[in-house]
Amino acid sequence: MTPFVIVILSALAALVTLALVFTAVWRLWSPRAALEFAAALLLTALVCQGFWIIFSGLELERSSAALWKYRESLLLGWWVTLLVSAGSLIGSCLVAAVLVAGQRSALKSVRWFTQGFVEVVRGMPLLSLVLIGFYVVLNNRTISVALESVNLGGKLFAGILLLSVFTGAYLTEILRGGLESIPQAQLDSARAVGFDRRQVLRYVVFPQALRRVLPALAGQFVSLVKDSSLLMVIGVNEFTYQARAFYAATYLGVEAFLPLAAGYLLLTLPIAAFAHWLERRFKAATAG
Amino acid sequence: MKLQADSLIRTYGTLNALDGLTLSVEAGVLVLIGPSGGGKSTFLRLCGGLDEATSGSLRINDTPLGHDPARLLEWRKRNGFLFQQFNLFPHLTALRNITLPLEKVHGQHPAEAVVTARRCLDRFGLLAHADKLPAQMSGGQQQRAGLARAIAPGPEILLLDEPTSALDPEMTAEVLELIQELAAAGQHIILSTHEMGFARAVADQVALIAAGKILESGPPAEVFGSPREEFTQRFLAKVMRFS
Repeated sequence: MTPFVIVILSALAALVTLALVFTAVWRLWSPRAALEFAAALLLTALVCQGFWIIFSGLELERSSAALWKYRESLLLGWWVTLLVSAGSLIGSCLVAAVLVAGQRSALKSVRWFTQGFVEVVRGMPLLSLVLIGFYVVLNNRTISVALESVNLGGKLFAGILLLSVFTGAYLTEILRGGLESIPQAQLDSARAVGFDRRQVLRYVVFPQALRRVLPALAGQFVSLVKDSSLLMVIGVNEFTYQARAFYAATYLGVEAFLPLAAGYLLLTLPIAAFAHWLERRFKAATAG
Repeated sequence: MKLQADSLIRTYGTLNALDGLTLSVEAGVLVLIGPSGGGKSTFLRLCGGLDEATSGSLRINDTPLGHDPARLLEWRKRNGFLFQQFNLFPHLTALRNITLPLEKVHGQHPAEAVVTARRCLDRFGLLAHADKLPAQMSGGQQQRAGLARAIAPGPEILLLDEPTSALDPEMTAEVLELIQELAAAGQHIILSTHEMGFARAVADQVALIAAGKILESGPPAEVFGSPREEFTQRFLAKVMRFS
């Protein structure tokens, strides 16, 4: 009897037992419950098989020894990803603030230039933006000398800057949508109570717009964390870069890339959870 | 309250919302009546400093309402305005809706603003709802809270644009009662309404606006009792048919 059969049989046994207990206690038995039960059984078997295929080749001793040996570089990669993500999160907000201001400028040329910039950045794959940004723009002699003179010459800063610009362009369009979704009646009411232009934005428009775009913003920040992996093409030693280096040295795919996925989820799931929490908190305030 | 409007024109695209409106009137409570789309709202927005005339002049209590943004802002600060609906800021509680402008526009200390706001809410029977968000209140309660916010800073003139048009009859009565109380207490008011019985009861002066002009104006007894214009007679006959 192979371990695979053991897994399936044990899952089956567990489910049958559970189902029997349920029906005995609550008399839930119906065609629908039967279907539910069959589906649960099938899916459990599928998941078990998936795990089996992935993990059957694992040699625990060899894997753990290799992971232990490279633990420092992998951990460093995770920290760099965290740093790049946090830096770009702040950076992208700054970029978006400038671009949103540009979109709302009183000068037509500024508005057009801003919108054009946003569209070009959003229309380009991040990979090409990173390559052009790093090898063409930031490598330009004048620019690189200027950056080095203020101690911002490294790849890390270049990566954060490029990711900030990319994400900032997306945030700009999300924020524009939010700002434009505030009904005219609210602007009228805000002016009617005597708020000046700045106060209308600060106390009435921004708080409401921000609540509305929160889910989209959170999604964009999750994307940002994941997009930071592309910075490996310019040699930023972030998590994916380190995982690939580990794989190249050991040829251990599962050991290299499953921790990689887990490491990203460790960063992205809290962001998503935080966004859901904020959404629930603001639910009443955004209704009507 | 003295109001002088001279040949006011307000154009939106190709539409003349106000088409040479002229009115000179002195009243505590001025009520604007007339068909929908006739220009009542546009005129009220001009009076409230929320919009600017394309041409013509408007002067209220000897303050000319021109095109200078800073002076229009000053004018809005001095007066209160209530729209048909969606007055309250949906992300703030009823109390905060009142205290925020008191603090940021009128420079009241936060503690002082809360006292003022609670007094206004209490006056309108809304103290129990102070900490509710607008979405948690009925339409009538929202409109009363909007009214409380408008009067909290002690406005020189209260401008009300069809304040009960979005409410059912019971809520309408609640709000009209409050407006009548305010008028009786000496609050200067300019309001537009389709409630003719209320207009007659509360107004010192009534003006009928249609097609962007004043068709008829005078004390309510005259306008409602013996209207001079044929249009006024027909309009009143139509709107009073079921009342």
